[in-house]
Amino acid sequence: MKRRRWMACLLLAALAGPAVQAETRSLVLSTYGLNNDLFKKHVYDPFKARCGCEIVLETGNASDRLAKLEARRNNPNVDVVQITDFLALDASNKGLLQAIDYTKLKNLDQVYDFGRDPLRNQQAVAYTVYSVGLVVRTDKPSGAIASWKDLWRPDLKGHLMLANITGNQGLAQLFMVDRAWGGVATDMSTGFTKLGEVKAGTVTYYTQTAQMTALFAQDEAWVAPVGRFGWLNLKKTGKPLKWVVPKEGQVGMMNVMGIVKGSKNADLAHQLIDFWLSKDVQTALANDLADSPINRNTKPNPEAAEALTWGKAQIDSLVFMKPEMVARERAGWVTQWNRMIAK
Amino acid sequence: MRSRIPWWLLAPALALVGLLFVLPVAALLAGAFKIDGHLGLAHFTAFFDEPLHTQVYWRTLRIAGLATVVSALVCYPAAMAMVKVPARWRGLLTGLVILPLMVSPIARTYSWIVLLGRNGLANSLLVGSGVFDEPATLLFTEGAVFVGLLQLMMPLMLLSLVSALENLPPDVLAAAQTLGANRWQSFARVVLPLTQEGLIVGGTLVFTGCVTAFITPALLGGPKVLMLETLLYQKVNVASDMAAASVIAVLLLLTTIVVNQVLKRVSR
Repeated sequence: MKRRRWMACLLLAALAGPAVQAETRSLVLSTYGLNNDLFKKHVYDPFKARCGCEIVLETGNASDRLAKLEARRNNPNVDVVQITDFLALDASNKGLLQAIDYTKLKNLDQVYDFGRDPLRNQQAVAYTVYSVGLVVRTDKPSGAIASWKDLWRPDLKGHLMLANITGNQGLAQLFMVDRAWGGVATDMSTGFTKLGEVKAGTVTYYTQTAQMTALFAQDEAWVAPVGRFGWLNLKKTGKPLKWVVPKEGQVGMMNVMGIVKGSKNADLAHQLIDFWLSKDVQTALANDLADSPINRNTKPNPEAAEALTWGKAQIDSLVFMKPEMVARERAGWVTQWNRMIAK
Repeated sequence: MRSRIPWWLLAPALALVGLLFVLPVAALLAGAFKIDGHLGLAHFTAFFDEPLHTQVYWRTLRIAGLATVVSALVCYPAAMAMVKVPARWRGLLTGLVILPLMVSPIARTYSWIVLLGRNGLANSLLVGSGVFDEPATLLFTEGAVFVGLLQLMMPLMLLSLVSALENLPPDVLAAAQTLGANRWQSFARVVLPLTQEGLIVGGTLVFTGCVTAFITPALLGGPKVLMLETLLYQKVNVASDMAAASVIAVLLLLTTIVVNQVLKRVSR
């Protein structure tokens, strides 16, 4: 009997452990795992001081975080979610987001037009934008590349690196290739046909930015479609590389913020979003290369400006994929891509 | 009362394994058979209706099977030599065998990318010795995945065989040869049957390791050489297709069990 009582005590102690009540309100932010030290310094810590609240992070890859939002739809524990635009639309279509009260966002009018209501349903605001353009070796035939169509030049055979469809750069590449070669259908059939033609001459389809950088560093690749956030590390390889804005334009990819439906902290959520969009925060994040700015008044230092998606030449070249098209078609594109590439 | 004590002592470990391993795995596997609330095989038929999935499955079996066979062929002579060297040297050799296992798989895989690249050591040797006129495509092929997996998994086979051979009574080989067996006969009729446990353990470890490896096929094969694990990753992280992912999980588990059973049968 004694033994049993002893074990019951242990059990009680274990249960009582985590039951410490939080005194201040806390705002839960679901976000990517990247650069969180910089976000802490420039966003979370100053915001905490302002609102007198806590910020709790839930980090992970986008599909995990979406799945969690869906699993807890009746009792949400996340207040604000940061995610790519078309995945935000997925969440919105599933009824996981609530409308944002735009009148509470003082800084919204400083945001580029394309970033204010990217889902066109007033449930999200973009907080960063990055371009997907081409990076080329200037000392090889690739140095003359000026168009997405130049990737089909025969002298690039065996040195062309493409992005896999599973990443955003792969989606952007499919979209621009389709567009450059005159495709009009949302099934991207023109793009698929053209990318199939160069399969044999493609080094590989990269899935990670670090892998892509390594393959440039080892002279395996002379050209690849690249997200702008990878540009700084590419320059560090010391290879003669150049960023090319193709004449058909570059794809603009946006990450957006939304407020989770049923959030009990919608007031704080609006404050955080507004704070994130402010010129000061956007400038600090840009200078530390955490994210390219979405606030048009941001003026990063010259070094950062050269590494980010910033300035007239970059911003004017941007072409956007409709998030509703990507959200609807992406699974089909991935299947078709695998059939073509992994045979 | 006293007879219950072992159960009390086992309870925490059993609870841990049950709650954190058996239950989640069972839930995961059950997901493959659950269709809108009732049980069925529709997810499996849907999975195999896609010709690509069958191709990926065969590719995985082919590469893993070949790696298992080749590692057994390479490791038997090496293991037999290792047990013959003096004990203090054997410790050093074992250390050297284990050393690659201590290197991060990502670093090890990247070094293969360097070696197999267009300007890498392999191509320099092949072109320099006149085998090829120009650098060959070695990276991002099935061959690259095979080589990477072989290097990754071979130590497991070697260590299993060494420990099996260490338990071999030292006199049996001499006895076999005294009775007129040649080297091959004494290996096939004496050494092999007496060390088959090591072969089964090593074979299962190598095969399972190859089938479930992710980093090596992802980095050395890429999307062109899709394997079950890389497909599983895509199903979960890109397509959010949990049904197909559960089917792959069941396939991985069943394949491993079947291969283990087959190895046991063959050795009997």
